[in-house]
Amino acid sequence: MRGRWLAYLVLVIFTFVMIVPVYIMVKVSLSAPQDVMTQHPPYWIENFTWEHWSRMFESGNLWEPLRKSLTVATLTTLLGVVAAAPASYVISRMGRKWKYTFVLGLLFTRMFPDVGIALPIAVNFIKWNLVDTDLGLILAHLIPNLPFLAWILVGTFETIPRDLEQAAYIDGASRLEALRKVVFPLAAPGIAVGALFVWLNSWNEFTYALYLTVSERTLPLQTYYFINRGDWFQSASYSVLITIPVVIITFFLQRYLKAGYLSGAVKG
Amino acid sequence: MRWLKRYRMETLLLAPLVIYILGLTVVPVLRAIVMGFQKKGTEEWTLDNYRYLFSRPEFSDAFWNTLIITVVGLSLQIAIGLIVALSLKHITKGKGIFRTLTMIPMGVPTLVSGVTMIYIFATSGYLNELLYDLKLSEVPIDWAAGGFSTLMMIVVADMWKVMPIVVLLLLAGLESISDDVYEAAKVDGATPWQTFWRITLPLLRPSITMALILRAIDAFRIFELPLVLAGRNTPVLSTYAYTEYGTYNNPYTSGAASTILLLMIVAFIFLYMFVVERKGGDVQ
Repeated sequence: MRGRWLAYLVLVIFTFVMIVPVYIMVKVSLSAPQDVMTQHPPYWIENFTWEHWSRMFESGNLWEPLRKSLTVATLTTLLGVVAAAPASYVISRMGRKWKYTFVLGLLFTRMFPDVGIALPIAVNFIKWNLVDTDLGLILAHLIPNLPFLAWILVGTFETIPRDLEQAAYIDGASRLEALRKVVFPLAAPGIAVGALFVWLNSWNEFTYALYLTVSERTLPLQTYYFINRGDWFQSASYSVLITIPVVIITFFLQRYLKAGYLSGAVKG
Repeated sequence: MRWLKRYRMETLLLAPLVIYILGLTVVPVLRAIVMGFQKKGTEEWTLDNYRYLFSRPEFSDAFWNTLIITVVGLSLQIAIGLIVALSLKHITKGKGIFRTLTMIPMGVPTLVSGVTMIYIFATSGYLNELLYDLKLSEVPIDWAAGGFSTLMMIVVADMWKVMPIVVLLLLAGLESISDDVYEAAKVDGATPWQTFWRITLPLLRPSITMALILRAIDAFRIFELPLVLAGRNTPVLSTYAYTEYGTYNNPYTSGAASTILLLMIVAFIFLYMFVVERKGGDVQ
């Protein structure tokens, strides 16, 4: 009995600590400067204001980064699925030894430090005029996301029984038809979940964007710009804006956040 | 060739992924390693970049900071993660609510979590205000001034972001342990403490190992949080490599620094797999 009481106490404290920073971020974005820029900031919003938000919308700094972030995240997701889904299907149907080799290989790429990959990429992209372009950033965002997506999708395809494909062949379907009409429709929910994760990863991505940007920023870079200028209020409203879609999607993805996915989803 | 003919479709479907990973991950990594051994301008082979790195105090700071953040961070994450996961397993009502609420930081982008931590750890931030209100400290503490307090700030910021994952990984491990084992321990009259050390921990080892390795890789590579929170004053290997490239415009020393970071990660995994895991295996 006492053990259970203690468990609840631990969980309440832990939950509190996990939620407070989110509250503080929202609070800063909605507080008048005298509530924040002071020796003793109050814990509650005492002087509420929309000023930081309207400044963000009206300054003209928002729309281009927003467009870039949306475009890059969406195209990264589409290209990622097109490249990773067929390959994952093949890997899932391989013999044990080969499958193990491929899956380990995918995990292995995650060991490489991003700054080590981004460096030669940036050097090359400068030569190829890909810096500041959407295409360059999409190509870069696929680097961490392709192995991650393939890793999730191998698991998805593994759950689809081979017998179903065999049945389709017996009914006279070609291999491509069996794939298109039987395997991929069954894998669609898994592919959708993987795609949403990729979209989020790309929407949040910072390191590659930093290496490949001179002037055309994404939303995270725009936030970083305001951090460097020491502008607490703009960095807060931009932060909240970036976080809103992420929290919504994460909320819906929750039941898919199982340990297996997670170990692939762990992002620095 | 016969093989290629037989597996033509498989090869075609697999090709884009394999070519992409080779071309934009494996080749760049090799390129970064090669760059570390080349001279700026002439590209002849040299060890100068490494000599330069080892002569820079910022570099050895970055090296030790990375190591301390990883070791301290991982120990705290596993310890607290275990306590929370055990608590979650222990309760009957409200599990779903706690899981949902504690999952929120996972959705917050890393850069944004850095922004939030600025508000908390700044000299006029909310942590100092809390300490002041609790009468624990009169003078505001400058957490970002460098040294151990700054490293701890980065550790805490990182923990806030990754604790949900650690908890979920450990909870999945806990839930896979069969209740029969606990029943048997109870029948044999084991105390809760004995049950934890003799049953839960050993059976949880695979989950702990997985969480440790995954988290260690990310902890070594940590980038946004130190960049945003501590800037150039408290470098880690990633931010140091970025500064060499971005600020000093020297890709060759940046390549060398990245190579050392890669070596650290590989060394850690080998050490863990072959020393810690094997040794633990003998005991069982």
